[in-house]
Amino acid sequence: MLKRAISALVLVLPLPAAAGDAVLLDPPGIVLAGPGAAQRLLVRRMDDAGEISDTASACQLSSTRPEIVEIQGTSVRAVAPGESVIAANCEGSVTGATVKVAAAGVPVEISFPRDVVSILTTKACNSSACHGSPAGQSGFKLSLYGSDPAADFKMIVEGHGGRRVNRADPQQSLLLRKPSFQVPHGGGHLFTKQADEYQTILNWLAQGARPSSGGPRILSIELYPKERIFATPGGKQPVVVVGRLSDGSTRDMTAEVRYSVNDEAVVSAVSNGAVTAKGRGLTVVMARGVGKTATAQMIVVDRASASRTTTPASDSFIDRQAFAKLRRVKLAPFPVTSDSAFLRRVYLDAVGVLPTTQETERFLGSSEPAKRAQLIDRLLERPEYVSHWLMKFEDWFRNSQYYSQGRTNASFKRYLAALIREDRPFDQAAREMITATGDTTVHPAGNFWHPAMDFMLKTFEVSKATPTVTRLFLGQRIECAECHNHPLENLTQEDFYGMAAFFARLRVKHGYAQYRRIWYNAREGEVLHPASKQAAPPKFLDGGVPQIAEGQDRREVLAEWITRTQTMQFARTAANRIWAEYFGAGIVEPADDFRSTNMPTHPELLDGLAKAFIEAGFRFKPLHRLILNSQVYQLSSRAPGRPGGADPLEKLLLARYEPRKLPAEVLLDAIVQVTGVPQEFTGYPPGTSPKDLVASIGATYFLTTFGVPRRDIMESRSQEPSLSQALHLMNSDAVREKIEKPGNILGQLIERTVNDREVLDALYLRAYSRKATPAQWQAVESYLASEKEAGRGRRRMFENVLWAILNSKEFQLNQ
Amino acid sequence: MIRRDVLRIGGMALGGLTIPRMLEAAGGRPDISCIIFFQEGGACQHDSFDPKPEAPLEIRGTFSSIPTAVPGVHFSELLPRCAKNFKKFSVIRSMYSKEAIHEKAKQYIFSGARPNNAFKHPVYGSVIAKELGPKNGLPPFVCIPRKDISADAGLLGSAYNPFITGDPAKKNFSVQDLTLPLGLTLEESAGRARLLSALDEEIRETEKSKVVEGMDYFYRKAFDLVSSQAARKAFNLDEEPEKLRDAYGRNTAGQGALLARRLVESGVRLAAVFHGGYDTHTNNDRTNKTLLPVFDRAFSTLLDDLEERGMLATTLVLAIGEFGRTPNINHSAGRDHWPGVFSVAAAGAGIPGGQVIGSSDAQGGAPKERPVSVEDLGATVYKKLGIDYTREYRTVGRPVRINSDGTPVRELFG
Repeated sequence: MLKRAISALVLVLPLPAAAGDAVLLDPPGIVLAGPGAAQRLLVRRMDDAGEISDTASACQLSSTRPEIVEIQGTSVRAVAPGESVIAANCEGSVTGATVKVAAAGVPVEISFPRDVVSILTTKACNSSACHGSPAGQSGFKLSLYGSDPAADFKMIVEGHGGRRVNRADPQQSLLLRKPSFQVPHGGGHLFTKQADEYQTILNWLAQGARPSSGGPRILSIELYPKERIFATPGGKQPVVVVGRLSDGSTRDMTAEVRYSVNDEAVVSAVSNGAVTAKGRGLTVVMARGVGKTATAQMIVVDRASASRTTTPASDSFIDRQAFAKLRRVKLAPFPVTSDSAFLRRVYLDAVGVLPTTQETERFLGSSEPAKRAQLIDRLLERPEYVSHWLMKFEDWFRNSQYYSQGRTNASFKRYLAALIREDRPFDQAAREMITATGDTTVHPAGNFWHPAMDFMLKTFEVSKATPTVTRLFLGQRIECAECHNHPLENLTQEDFYGMAAFFARLRVKHGYAQYRRIWYNAREGEVLHPASKQAAPPKFLDGGVPQIAEGQDRREVLAEWITRTQTMQFARTAANRIWAEYFGAGIVEPADDFRSTNMPTHPELLDGLAKAFIEAGFRFKPLHRLILNSQVYQLSSRAPGRPGGADPLEKLLLARYEPRKLPAEVLLDAIVQVTGVPQEFTGYPPGTSPKDLVASIGATYFLTTFGVPRRDIMESRSQEPSLSQALHLMNSDAVREKIEKPGNILGQLIERTVNDREVLDALYLRAYSRKATPAQWQAVESYLASEKEAGRGRRRMFENVLWAILNSKEFQLNQ
Repeated sequence: MIRRDVLRIGGMALGGLTIPRMLEAAGGRPDISCIIFFQEGGACQHDSFDPKPEAPLEIRGTFSSIPTAVPGVHFSELLPRCAKNFKKFSVIRSMYSKEAIHEKAKQYIFSGARPNNAFKHPVYGSVIAKELGPKNGLPPFVCIPRKDISADAGLLGSAYNPFITGDPAKKNFSVQDLTLPLGLTLEESAGRARLLSALDEEIRETEKSKVVEGMDYFYRKAFDLVSSQAARKAFNLDEEPEKLRDAYGRNTAGQGALLARRLVESGVRLAAVFHGGYDTHTNNDRTNKTLLPVFDRAFSTLLDDLEERGMLATTLVLAIGEFGRTPNINHSAGRDHWPGVFSVAAAGAGIPGGQVIGSSDAQGGAPKERPVSVEDLGATVYKKLGIDYTREYRTVGRPVRINSDGTPVRELFG
């Protein structure tokens, strides 16, 4: 039985809504196909403060020309060619869409990739637990979630000696007999002979079991609503999925995808086409079908207070975006933080050192209204800004001793430092590194390639180069596609080797000394796809085919594409990395894991940052300035009567500054600053900061224990606390020597004054950029009294006070 | 009923049950701990558990083979104690790896998961630390004498990295950072701890994020460790009789094995003893002549000691290296890296003794029967410790199985 199709074009145009509430009608831009082709709609109401109400049950849908498009419950259905307007009326608030139904129908074939693969996906035949597993199941292997319809077709039609498909007698095909359990099937009884799925597959077989109808392909799928905020648990939200086809039409795929929910403590799994709010939090619903994915964000507020949340006014787009979201979820931001907390925070975050007592006193004493902005400007010009961000750049670019035996790390370090110091356009730097050739001691950009070398064999490996480039510059992790198609994304081994082919001719030579490396392009050379053993032609990640002139360096073409074609993604990736350093998490988190299934918490904010970065000529300092001057960055971690951190939404939605541990190098520098005793590093002059070490691996137990990474792999550095850290700060000789050294800061303070409170305040100013609170002074005072009684000297007692300060959480945190 | 049982167990305690074992016995299912004796560099299968007396000299080497406690099974003459003690452990002679570079191969055999370019797998000790947590206030994962680069928590994060002891064979051995600085009394230390707690009070009350809770947790653990008699006892080898210390061998490996036993006895879940020097690219025989007797003594005494204390049934003991050595002796009288086949010794936690699992070919170059993969060994370790080896982590934004497609070695489950 062939379907008769009518192409129906539905254009959704907003009509002026009544004052007050607005009505939202989703999905936009629907184009129906086939007689009786229908599309589910979602109607929601938004009040004038931008809050979307929970119930839309009071809304009515109507069609001005039901002979063209009729309403069936919450769906529209095409009847005949023509035009109609669909109106949604919610107690007087109205929105609408003009509907155009064009041209009479043509017979439509069942499409293998569109219709059959959909069934394999919704019935989980191609899930990782079944035939989608790398080894398949009982000799029948499908691509994971239908990511490779061509391979699936081959497996179904040609595999197993062609016994899965019987064109002469389609009903006898194993493809039908197995899932309908006419023969035993390990996966169970999936559908009956009467089910739509059975009919669709049967029709496809009857039509000749062709690979593709030549009809429209599904280009993408969308999941609606894209964001849903529930006030209370128990609320239900239907979800709708629309597929966009290559001929411009759409298809209701709500029942043709598989859903999953990241955190089922927040909303339930999709059941009967809807999710149910369960508990406070933010999660993502994902829909997968025909190798495409779509996501929607679900937030459950679950706060008794129904009152509106007010947020401060601001002319920063960062604040406006973040605060608008907070208002929608009725989560009040914490107040803007005090001068002393801001001072310590911005020093540690932007330049990685503590403010000196003098700097603290000057800043706290100033009544200049713009003093925060002025301080930010000054900090960004300090040499410590360079060394602090150099530490992070070395992490990202893996300036590791591991790859170059420590010999060329210094030249790469200088190269990165100059990049930061001069605030060179990052797109230019990226092109320079991606296309680098020559002797790394003369052309340090070539050090960029060291992590792509096999450490033992000292050979260049495209399989390491490929993920390095995509992850660093496009925030895309494609390393899993080296061995298998990406399970969550539409990313295949083809894509991996297409990218890898850009590096196929890069070669490395070892100079007269073991550490000297010379990068050059060979005249020929290809990357072989592991399955086909054929040379993989260069292909961009988005499927585009590059134009490469004879003799042109393939990497040049790739670098252009990354920075000039993928400009927004390139800028988003860079901006998101910087953001992640200031907020403890990226807007996309992990910061280098952009994918359709890993949604940004604030997409518009991220795009705003990316645009600002592009407008600033890909220079980082304006981006730092923008972030540091925002109120969102300057929010308190805690407020009187309101502890911080108990609610996971605070961090995700930027309601406060999230405290974090100081990085190893910063903590060690801070201990040096507070005690006034420099750290000695073998082979370096006194006063060297751990950030200045070349290849800091194995520098000291302190640094490795507090998380200095080896920089040999692409993981972000660990900032987790550990038992060894606590023991080391408490008991190690390294810390004790700084506390006890005669003539250290304690020695000077005790000599300067007999007033214990003054000594304490001076230590507090150095360590915390503030004086002790009355309660803290009291605690110290009574401690000193009891110690005196125990017969301990003043110096010894204060050594213990200093020990307590260095071991305190406030000292080890930036907050 | 409970009282009677405790009394009965109390009586048994005289027969060698230690305090923690007693608690477990009272609580039902005992925890299984693990000691891994790591032969760094890759021990030679021919010169240890899989001699090839029939092979030509350039393959079999210069050492002869000796009978073991099990008729028909022979070990190298370098392992006389193990040979006598074979009733206490099993040997897998058909183990193979797919990595031939030390770093990767170590990480592979120490985690049961093959290294890849995408992320770093946590090793056994880190997974165990995460899944089972600390016991009796002791760090769950300890490396003796130092942290090998392979012994890394990888994607689980540094909180699950091992605790490092330092070299227990050194004179006046004390564990790094575990003892109070000289001249600081417990009383003064308690005073400053109270002061620290007062300074932290505000933040502890008002900051509820995981990182602060984590710091608080580890500081409490650290104070417990420093002030706990039990913990200091656990690390104090001086409490062991001289005779036993001699029996283990007065060297890093021997004292390390003894320390591992003390630690596991007190609550450490996985103690790894790293014994280096097996990378015999040159002068294989000369090296093994000194190295393997050290292993023989330490490993064999460890099994005796564990059994005597009633701990063998609850302690999984493994002797592993990252790979074996080439069947052919090279021009420098050495043997090079050989992941093709090698031997692993396994004991305790219900593993039958005197059993040879699998076999290698005539040259000792490839598995002949019953090949056992590194993944299979991994599944075995997790199953023995009561951890679901099909478990997945999602900390890197993708599912990572702690073990891929390994099957527990059924012969090791009696």
